[in-house]
Amino acid sequence: MDSKHIEQLLEKYWECETSLEEEKALRDFFNQTEVPDSLKESAVLFRYFEQQRQHKMNDAAFDTSLKSKLQPAQGKMRSLYMSSLRIAAGISVVIASFWLVRTQLRDSASQEVADTYDDPKKAFEETKKALQMISKNFGKAEKAASNINMINEATDKLHSKEETKIDS
Amino acid sequence: MNFEAFQNRVLPAKNKLFRFALRLVGSEEEAKDVVQEVMIRVWNGREQMAEIQNMEAWCMRITKNLSLDRIRANNRRQTQPIDGNFDVRNEALTPHESTELHESMQRINQLMASLPEKQRHVMHLRDVEGYSYNEICDILELDMNQVKVNLFRARNAVREKLTTLNAYGL
Repeated sequence: MDSKHIEQLLEKYWECETSLEEEKALRDFFNQTEVPDSLKESAVLFRYFEQQRQHKMNDAAFDTSLKSKLQPAQGKMRSLYMSSLRIAAGISVVIASFWLVRTQLRDSASQEVADTYDDPKKAFEETKKALQMISKNFGKAEKAASNINMINEATDKLHSKEETKIDS
Repeated sequence: MNFEAFQNRVLPAKNKLFRFALRLVGSEEEAKDVVQEVMIRVWNGREQMAEIQNMEAWCMRITKNLSLDRIRANNRRQTQPIDGNFDVRNEALTPHESTELHESMQRINQLMASLPEKQRHVMHLRDVEGYSYNEICDILELDMNQVKVNLFRARNAVREKLTTLNAYGL
């Protein structure tokens, strides 16, 4: 590109009439070719722009630290999902076990009902038998208890005799 | 937007965001913080951003707003951009020449830093990053007329100062 054309472009540039392409052409010209003395002052400016464009963060740690800051948000969402699944699983286990225990209780209750007698006479006989057995055993217990009472009375008498002796 | 789409659409703009933030806040560390905050905001609001067409311009706008917030919060004058960014790539230059180039770059940097805020922003977006006028309107939330006027003033101020500097030997 000849310097005359560049001078024309520059004039347009100062008047803010250049397009982005023309401004790029100016930047390329000043950064690639030997610049005639008459254009040196403008060259510095366009080289400055180009150098600024090359300025990078130069920070490898930036991406990793940024990723670690952004990824937890994802992880948090996942863990929220997982924990809600866990809670749901826990609730279903409780409901299932409750249901199982209830049906088993119901089954065992119905077995008892099935074991009782259909005939009321027979049932009465059986009940009488059972009650008699209880009363018989009560009688046995009473006898044993009366024996204990005899011992208790005897020891009471002994105690009272000892007390009167001490008093006299 | 999933993480992969984020990595392809948003993350590559990080250097542009960084340079813009650096132009605004003036310190590399703070500019990095701003870029990180922008990325986190975009990621957290990714559901609402599905319909945004120009993601990069949108990120630039958030960068501008966060940087200005930071400047206001810090309540201090903008410092000069650090000088580490003038690595002279042309190794054929003699040390004397490269020092000279470094110095002239520093001068341009100071010259740009001395521009009023809006002019500086418009000039950076147009001349460094190569954005169209429409994109600059979007990013800076200005109308077309304001963008053009600010760019015109910025370029004229730079031209004038360059000529003055040149008269004393740039």
